[in-house]
Amino acid sequence: MKRRTVIPFGPQHVVFPEPIQFRLILEEERVVDAIPALGYMHRGIEQLATVKDFTKTLYLAERICGICSVMHTLAYAQAIEELMGIEVPPRAKYLRTIWAELGRLQSHLLWMGLAADAIGYESLFMQTWRAREVVLEMIEFTEGSRIMTGSITIGGTKRDLHAESLEFLLHKLEHLEQALNDIYPVFSDDPLIKQRTVGVGLLSKADAIKLGAVGPTARGSGIAEDMRLLGYAAYGELDFQPVVETSCDSYGRMLVRVKECFQSIELIRKAIAKLPPGEVLVKVKGRPEGEVIMRIEQPRGELLYYLKAGGDKSLARWRIRTPTLSNLPPLVHMVKGARLADVPLITLSIDTCIACVER
Amino acid sequence: MSYPAGLGIILATFLLAPVVGGLLTGLERKVIARLQGRVGPPLTQPFYDLVKLWHKRPQAANRIQIVYVYAHLFFMVTSLLAFLLGQDLLLILFIFSFATVALILGGLSVDSPYSRIGSQREIIQLVTYEPILVLLVIAYYQVTGSFMVSQARSLEQPLLFTLPLVLISFLPVFIIKVRKSPFDLATQLHEPHQELVKGIITEYSGPYLALIELASWYELVFLLALVSLFWATNWVGGLLLAAIFFFAVTVIDNITPRVTYSWMVKFVWKVGLGLAVVNVAWLYLWK
Amino acid sequence: MAWVSSARKRSPWLLHYETGGCNGCAIEFVAALTPLYDLERFGMLNTGNPKHADILVVTGCVNARSGRVLRNLYEQMSEPKVVVAVGVCACTGGIFHDGYNLAPGADKVVPVDLYLPNCAARPEAIIDALLTAADLLAETRRRDQHAHQRAPDQQG
Ligand code: SF4
Repeated sequence: MKRRTVIPFGPQHVVFPEPIQFRLILEEERVVDAIPALGYMHRGIEQLATVKDFTKTLYLAERICGICSVMHTLAYAQAIEELMGIEVPPRAKYLRTIWAELGRLQSHLLWMGLAADAIGYESLFMQTWRAREVVLEMIEFTEGSRIMTGSITIGGTKRDLHAESLEFLLHKLEHLEQALNDIYPVFSDDPLIKQRTVGVGLLSKADAIKLGAVGPTARGSGIAEDMRLLGYAAYGELDFQPVVETSCDSYGRMLVRVKECFQSIELIRKAIAKLPPGEVLVKVKGRPEGEVIMRIEQPRGELLYYLKAGGDKSLARWRIRTPTLSNLPPLVHMVKGARLADVPLITLSIDTCIACVER
Repeated sequence: MSYPAGLGIILATFLLAPVVGGLLTGLERKVIARLQGRVGPPLTQPFYDLVKLWHKRPQAANRIQIVYVYAHLFFMVTSLLAFLLGQDLLLILFIFSFATVALILGGLSVDSPYSRIGSQREIIQLVTYEPILVLLVIAYYQVTGSFMVSQARSLEQPLLFTLPLVLISFLPVFIIKVRKSPFDLATQLHEPHQELVKGIITEYSGPYLALIELASWYELVFLLALVSLFWATNWVGGLLLAAIFFFAVTVIDNITPRVTYSWMVKFVWKVGLGLAVVNVAWLYLWK
Repeated sequence: MAWVSSARKRSPWLLHYETGGCNGCAIEFVAALTPLYDLERFGMLNTGNPKHADILVVTGCVNARSGRVLRNLYEQMSEPKVVVAVGVCACTGGIFHDGYNLAPGADKVVPVDLYLPNCAARPEAIIDALLTAADLLAETRRRDQHAHQRAPDQQG
């Protein structure tokens, strides 16, 4: 038998800003097994929700994850609205869509940067994060803050966009598209990037279905699955097709994300063009009662909330199943047999968000 | 060479080489930052780093590790010294490899997986570039008829004209030695290494890291001096050649990701070794 | 020695550890390294290796499990060292402060020198905090003080 080395990968690691640990069991430089160890970021959000006021839980939802904070508030607000039978004004729905897509843009750009960093391509990392700052500028201008915006609330949105902001958005989108046009060919054609990503971290379509992959991980394996097609917020009125790649490897997943950036830009443009006039917020009275399941598409895949409320001031149960949790079994499957050098990239290729998983 | 001149060279090596190496490192960090659209650290940053590291509390995993660090520095300085004194090229490259081996042994002497795997990769790198260095020496002998470095100065035309392919094949060796991407497999000095924390130097801290940093400056100067050997007849040409090399490496570092070691071995042996062999064979058949 | 402290001030190397929280602050820390903010112009490097680092940047709320890692990282750093708590989570626990498994603030686990309370600390604020931390690093007096300071007992 060959000598085996156990290498702890994480919890403190430069590629991931978040702690996750894999005990990688190596033979030479090949991984024979990977044992994920979780729990470094658990903070008991589901329990906190059962003691906090349900309106305040909204802010808790926002702080499940700092990258997709908008998505979490969106899902939570929609779930509560469904429970209480609130009809959200159409303008608010469009605003929510715009902000959700901005969130997706910044998340994907963030991921692209980290992926470039994972294969040791520092200048590409810097360039993508530079483009990301443009998105953050848009977010800050329209939502008031960079990360924790609190712009979506139960019953609508807290802010409205006036003509000036829309103008600004369109103008900046132009900038962003230019920057992305420069970055895209590097990701898709650079021979060394291809050499590092093509065929690395294979996940066949059958495996992806069996192991329950969601989001870009599933779409990179040829499964056209996108929760936005359910038509929540304003997505039902903006027609679009999910981006699908069939190469089933890290390269495919990377391309899905890069292409989705362009898709998001398109969606924002469409939403701005169609933005209806009117109110953005309706008054909310009473308390939620009953059960609901809410599914939305996060940058990382399908987010599923299960809410149960018994007419009290706080929820009875709030179950959060985040996309990364569904993508962990495919990840463990992919890491086995990989080279040590590829582990950071493969781990990133599902876009791990540990803060989401551990809540 | 007269004794006073020799003494002067020795002193200059000890005092000037770190200054030059440090400034070059600072310049390189600045250039990299500018290429990435950042402002970058001041030119004198490496010196601040060195002083700071030197005054941190030492922490060593074991004593033998410290011995290896000093050995690494000692061999590095010796190889540069011997080179500037115009000694035997074969011997110099031998000492130079010794310096690397000392670092590898230091990395292997601690029980840390990162450091171990970093050392293993360093060994692979050593095996990868060593044949090219040997070929370089052979080619040098063919042209000058001697192993002595001082011989290159008395040539009629620069080595570059007779050994252009060898110089090109030296490029990957240079990149490997200064630990730049795409071949920064074992460690990186100024950026975090994404696979192995800091690879081979993970377990060194404080003053020992400062010594490794210092050695890397000597190393940079040595490698650049080796490049300038290809135009040793005229010091302007030598400097120019070294500067071109330096900037080429910096740019390459910026536009490439890290490759895997199997790819590196394949590439360096196929292209680098291939070019060097062609050059040597051509010399052999023609002359 | 003046030149040693000036060198310390100009070359603080960073170690970032996210202990929990929502990683909003962690992302903003990484953003501070990128072109628009560029921490490297102050000589700061993100080393990712506790043995090389001078400043420990803690983001997020500390739970029992990550507290152990944090403590471990802190102990591996060699003196002089400074700890900066970034984000209200790391300072007091923030919105999660009454969670059942959390230590209210990173200072329950490691001695914290600087607090930056912000929910999602902006990169500008992070830069400011780190520069102040670099000043602290330059005061050699602190070196001994740190060595004798006993950290409060670790939670969990
Ligand atoms: S302080 Fe706010 S943004 Fe920072 S980690 Fe905590 S919840 Fe997230």
